[in-house]
Amino acid sequence: MVKVSTKGRYGLRAMVDLAVYSNGDHVALYSIAARQGISINYLEQVFSILKKAGLVRSVKGAGGGYVLSGSPATLKVGTILRVLEGKLSVIDEKAEGAEEDKTGVQNCIKVNVWDKMNKSLNELVDTITLEELAENYKKMRGLDTIMYYI
Amino acid sequence: MKISTKGRYGLEALLDLAIHSSEGHINIKSIAERCGKSEAYILQIFLTLRKAGLVESIRGAQGGYRLAKEPAEITVGDILNVLEGPLAPVACIIPDTKQPCDRYENCATRAVWERIMDCLNNVVNAITIADLLKNYREANYRQADLEYYL
Repeated sequence: MVKVSTKGRYGLRAMVDLAVYSNGDHVALYSIAARQGISINYLEQVFSILKKAGLVRSVKGAGGGYVLSGSPATLKVGTILRVLEGKLSVIDEKAEGAEEDKTGVQNCIKVNVWDKMNKSLNELVDTITLEELAENYKKMRGLDTIMYYI
Repeated sequence: MKISTKGRYGLEALLDLAIHSSEGHINIKSIAERCGKSEAYILQIFLTLRKAGLVESIRGAQGGYRLAKEPAEITVGDILNVLEGPLAPVACIIPDTKQPCDRYENCATRAVWERIMDCLNNVVNAITIADLLKNYREANYRQADLEYYL
């Protein structure tokens, strides 16, 4: 199994929500929590990581909340996942670089299987932008048409 | 997102079996020794692989295991699918065993996880045991050449 952690799953969903509902303005965490069905305590933890990594900025005070630091068009899903999950690899780091014998079975599999999987995985998530996910989500929820009629 | 030791060791053991297949049926003990894993663990893996029709065994003094198909007909995807299950980063997208989620239809991120699963499957389904054997032997010939010239 190659599972993404709860942090990665909830964090990416919250970032899409933020991109959809922000319109350049800050969004309160409790509203993201309510829409996405994620506990506010958990979101606070996730957003403190995202903030530390410079992906979001926080606004304090009564109308406070979070806003994306940059444009969703230039923010890659790969960047978000690496902040939340660490290096994206299908193999445990410690096991990965172990073998010194370049002619061994382990090295053959590392070069021809694990490295190729990791390369494809990282290239894929770096082609998907947060904007793409936000636009699809708007269409899915009919949010784009509501905006249009207003 | 990690491949478990079962998948890693299983792939190593199967490649080891393929490398030594010219010697007839290979016993678990010798595979376990070469891979540096316990006999019990390798046996457990081979029982799973046998049930899936990837290896076959004969009993007796000269008994042991061999590949049930040509190396070119077994992909890394076949092996990982048997030992690891689907390469799904989240449980809800596993075919036929979809874990219920209220948000499945309107999920902001499901497409990302599906694309990751497809991407990883494409990589592992394109690599056969024959490919690994070829690369393993090439690496060993290079090493042998190097030692010859030294």
